Amino acid sequence: MKILMVDKNKCTGCHQCELWCGTEITSVSKELTRAIHEQPQPVPRVYVEGKPFALQCRHCEDAPCIEACPNGTMRRDPETGLVYVNEPTCIACWMCVMACPFGIINPSASMKVAIKCDRCRNMGYPICAEVCPTQAITLEERKDYRTKAF
Amino acid sequence: MRYVIIGGSAAAISAVEAIRSLDRESQIDLFSDEATPLFSRVLLPYYIAEELSKPFLNFRSSDFFEQYKVNAHLGVKVQELSVTSKTILIEGGETYPFDRLLLATGGHPIVPPIPGIEKEGISTLKTMADAEKIYQLKGQRAVVIGAGSVGVESCISLRKRGMEVTLLEQLGQVLPTVFDEEAAAIIQKKIEHLGITTITGERAIQFAGNGHVQRVITESRELKCDLVVVAVGVKPAIELAQKAGMDIGSLDGITVNAQMMTNVPDIYAAGDVAETFDITRQANWINAIWPCAVEQGRIAGLNMAGKKTLYEGSFRRNSIGNFIGVPAISMGLTRADTCSTCEAGESFQEIKRRTKESYKKLIIRNGKLVGAILVGQTQKAGLYLTLLKKQIEVSDYLPLLISRTLNFMDLLPLIRRNADRFTETEFKEIMDTGL
Ligand SMILES: Cc1cc2nc3c(=O)[nH]c(=O)nc-3n(C[C@H](O)[C@H](O)[C@H](O)COP(=O)(O)OP(=O)(O)OC[C@H]3O[C@@H](n4cnc5c(N)ncnc54)[C@H](O)[C@@H]3O)c2cc1C
Ligand code: SF4
Ligand code: SF4
Repeated sequence: MKILMVDKNKCTGCHQCELWCGTEITSVSKELTRAIHEQPQPVPRVYVEGKPFALQCRHCEDAPCIEACPNGTMRRDPETGLVYVNEPTCIACWMCVMACPFGIINPSASMKVAIKCDRCRNMGYPICAEVCPTQAITLEERKDYRTKAF
Repeated sequence: MRYVIIGGSAAAISAVEAIRSLDRESQIDLFSDEATPLFSRVLLPYYIAEELSKPFLNFRSSDFFEQYKVNAHLGVKVQELSVTSKTILIEGGETYPFDRLLLATGGHPIVPPIPGIEKEGISTLKTMADAEKIYQLKGQRAVVIGAGSVGVESCISLRKRGMEVTLLEQLGQVLPTVFDEEAAAIIQKKIEHLGITTITGERAIQFAGNGHVQRVITESRELKCDLVVVAVGVKPAIELAQKAGMDIGSLDGITVNAQMMTNVPDIYAAGDVAETFDITRQANWINAIWPCAVEQGRIAGLNMAGKKTLYEGSFRRNSIGNFIGVPAISMGLTRADTCSTCEAGESFQEIKRRTKESYKKLIIRNGKLVGAILVGQTQKAGLYLTLLKKQIEVSDYLPLLISRTLNFMDLLPLIRRNADRFTETEFKEIMDTGL
């Protein structure tokens, strides 16, 4: 399956991906100048933090968030392997938040659903990879790393 | 291969999924004495509160049993288990043979021996039938006995239905096994803000009323009521195992090894019924929570289908979500000083950080995280969970761990240093970040 790779040497911490993710995916207006005034405030599903580095859901092979979810809201699309939140059934219990080893699920108090990256599964191409000015974020085939020393 | 699974909830369904990931063909017979299949117990308070209707209580789609080719025997109680002839006996007298069996029988709600407990209008909350009963009970005033997770959620669900609710807890704080006093105080305030009266440090000694409960009598007062929910915990449903002479642990759960196998070969146990090794306590414990039941069911299922897989161990983890209205997460031990399994020479440390709206506490034993409480800011809870589960030495990372800016990237060097503790798939996900 294809995953989003992030190159830490290319990520400058410009937050473009965050801005576009929030606008394109979460906002109602889909326009930055209007999105910033929306209530509830649109939130991104990618986080530029630390070194800096853009991090979003890894769509784990053994996903702890799916195991933790008490009603099957967090699920895997059998065709693409992508992990997503079926928002209409989310009860905002934040069990998945507690389980995600990357801390990338947003327990949204205003939306009352768990918000996380679904790798833009209903769009042609992930928006963060599309807008990244240095191409630090790219869509690539998941590799087998066993041979490589950690 | 013939599989028999007793129970039809979290651990059982997770085991079915694991078995089927390796074995598409063998016969699986699943028995549950609850007639309603595939509903999640965790959602019962939402049902009582009228926030979710029945179809939304399911945690798997209604065609699950067809999809996974499972012969589901619902509303059927298993009466006996014979370990010598490898058969089970169900009500009505039929027997079923098995090659591998899973006991995922969960727990029974504890019914405390308080005089008058048999009166009408008093219920525990465990099954769909309990939830239905509580939902149908008429009246304006409710008392909930026990301020654990189920008790607190029960009182909120009744409050949301417009009732006058009193929460009675014999210990000195709400959620005593989940939070420390400081976090509990924040949550208690929130509960009271919803219009619920909380009484702590006081126990119910009698239920009074003529057939139907009318008053709960405590050591120092009488609480008028029309209905009572008793939520003082669960105990493992070990009848079958006990009758069959299997090993039962000191906490009255079925003892299992790291493959979730009982002392009898080919018989496995998982979920609320099983006593497992608790990573934070370094001792056997029963962690009767949903994620543990799912994990253990998966490990049992994989081993039953022939793939040797070891359980890393269990530990408590609870999340108070939107239902209660304060985001709060707690895992592992809640206090350094009340750890019953402390050994001489162990050093405990508590680190706290408190602001007006948030509270964070980490409990460290011998340089490793064994407990974390987060109130307010919770998004990074999973980072603590990884460190706790893998028992990674964190001594030189404490300032980062308690800081507001904790993030995965800054933790990565620590995770790398401990790469040998991660499995192949966990490994892969870290590598996939391009690091
Ligand atoms: C109201 C409520 C709220 C909860 N909220 C949370 C929460 O927010 N977070 C959390 O982590 N956990 C929560 N829990 C706990 C969680 O539901 C349990 O940990 C989980 O359901 C355990 O799953 P299990 O498969 O081990 O057993 P159970 O869910 O107990 O299922 C066991 C099944 O086996 C059946 N069975 C037993 N004996 C037999 C027999 N002889 N023959 C046939 N069938 C039999 C039982 O009837 C039952 O259906 C909650 C529990 C309740 C009751
Ligand atoms: S949300 Fe977290 S745990 Fe779930 S698949 Fe994504 S990275 Fe993995
Ligand atoms: S917050 Fe939503 S997705 Fe997350 S565990 Fe709860 S119900 Fe599942």
